[in-house]
Amino acid sequence: MMPTLGDQHHDRFLLLFAEHESALRTFVRAMLPTREDASEVMQEAAVVLWQKFESARDFRKWAFGVARNVALRHLQARTRDPHVFDDELVNRLADEAIAMDQRHEAQREALETCLQKLPEPQRALVLAAYTKGTRMDELAAQRGQTAMSLYKLLHRIRQALLECVRRTIALEQFT
Amino acid sequence: MKKHWHEQIQRHLNGQSSVGEAAALQAALSEDAELRALYLDYMNLDVALGAAGEAATINENGTGRMATFPRPTAQSLPHYWPWIAATAACAASVVFAMLPKHRNASPARPDIAAIVSSTQGAIARFSLEPPSLFPAWASPTASLLEPPRIPQ
Repeated sequence: MMPTLGDQHHDRFLLLFAEHESALRTFVRAMLPTREDASEVMQEAAVVLWQKFESARDFRKWAFGVARNVALRHLQARTRDPHVFDDELVNRLADEAIAMDQRHEAQREALETCLQKLPEPQRALVLAAYTKGTRMDELAAQRGQTAMSLYKLLHRIRQALLECVRRTIALEQFT
Repeated sequence: MKKHWHEQIQRHLNGQSSVGEAAALQAALSEDAELRALYLDYMNLDVALGAAGEAATINENGTGRMATFPRPTAQSLPHYWPWIAATAACAASVVFAMLPKHRNASPARPDIAAIVSSTQGAIARFSLEPPSLFPAWASPTASLLEPPRIPQ
């Protein structure tokens, strides 16, 4: 059966969305205080992108613009939250996130190698902590530790991972 | 980069920072480009670890959260479409139920016999042989159509 124009439009959108999804998630995450906020904004932005998609335009530029607008609108409802940064800083972080897009993509690729370098218990812990629906207090209780000590352990693992990906990229650039 | 800011950024991305810590982080980020780069790297790491955690879940369970976008097919018709179709079907039934009465009452029925007769006449006219431009004896095949002559 021949694909219809609608199918081709749909497939073209999915290809472009999949290509830029990780960069969009980082961009949205940089503008918002929590993962939950970022997840909501990302879902809303994806719906808007799909509804208004025209394959002729520069998808990446357009998608970042849509995501920025959705994120700023989301933040307007939370202006009284002291954890929300002011508009000037949010926009500056958004601009710099776009400028650092290639570096972040390289870091995401390097992360796989760095995760493999972690000792198995630490790798299992960090992946469990990032599994959707995981509650940190329950995870801490399962491991027989306090939530605070679990957070501190995760901080050390994340810092080690970040240093690893930064070092990996620096080495790749050097060679 | 001071270890303090690694700690503060991570507390912020976990939603653990106090109001004072959030304000101090905002002030420092507004001033320091290197700190903003570190902040953005942590946010990127947070997103990438979220994807890795999800991928690990998919590998374990064979299921995961997938973004889906509906294909633009007939399913995108308005939700009231079935009601319109049902109403149209009912209206059609009523019209068909009323049709016999109209047929009996109609005085202007076509004369079927006349049509048949006219059609037969037309067919008969078409079946006539066209007039020939040459006499019969000039036809090279005329002799073939004559009955065979048996010599006496």
